[in-house]
Amino acid sequence: MASGGNRPTAPQNNPVNVSATGGNGQSGKFVAEKAAKAMQLRATGYPQGQNQAIAEQITEGGNVRTTAPAVNPTPSAANPALGNFMSEITPLDAEPTEYLPVSDGIDFGRGRGSEAISPRLTSPINQTEGVDMIKRYLPDLMNATRLQGTPDSYKRFVNFLKAQIL
Amino acid sequence: MKWMENSFFDHLDKFANSLGYENFEIAIPLAMVPWQSPEDRDTFIMAITGAEVKGGDQDTFTYAEVK
Repeated sequence: MASGGNRPTAPQNNPVNVSATGGNGQSGKFVAEKAAKAMQLRATGYPQGQNQAIAEQITEGGNVRTTAPAVNPTPSAANPALGNFMSEITPLDAEPTEYLPVSDGIDFGRGRGSEAISPRLTSPINQTEGVDMIKRYLPDLMNATRLQGTPDSYKRFVNFLKAQIL
Repeated sequence: MKWMENSFFDHLDKFANSLGYENFEIAIPLAMVPWQSPEDRDTFIMAITGAEVKGGDQDTFTYAEVK
């Protein structure tokens, strides 16, 4: 009797009939994955009615595995580094720790008064520039006080400038 | 020499007394501006202060001593 050869319709060629636990030297896991992939590829070849059921199964997830990376992975013990990274994100709708009224810093309405605002910003640099300006112009300004008809307001101002550098 | 209107010293007198002595760092540069007339200067001062121009004029000139 002649050998029939490798018939495509033979049971051993049907991936569904392959044992998932292995056998005949093949890895069970490898064969199971191949079988699942073959079932996916044949999703459009089934009789009417079955295609929709398979498509729904794929849509719902089921046992169809995906290799796409997770879009919004959740921290897990398996990836502690990712968990630490995710914990640093502050939600946009996080509530502030302290509420301040719009009238804060003004001497009316709710909130703190003007004492909450720092006094006029003065820096040693600005003060030095002012003193330098006075020293630069004061000699000429004092000479002008000796002019005939110099108003008292101008002389008071020159006295004020002299007091700034003394 | 006499005190002259529309001069640097006259401008400085008006700006320093109108803006306040403590604002001399602003008054001195503004006094250096070549104002076309005292009226233009006074208009500017009134615009930024919202008040009348302060400072000496011919009626208030005296001979006070500068220490």
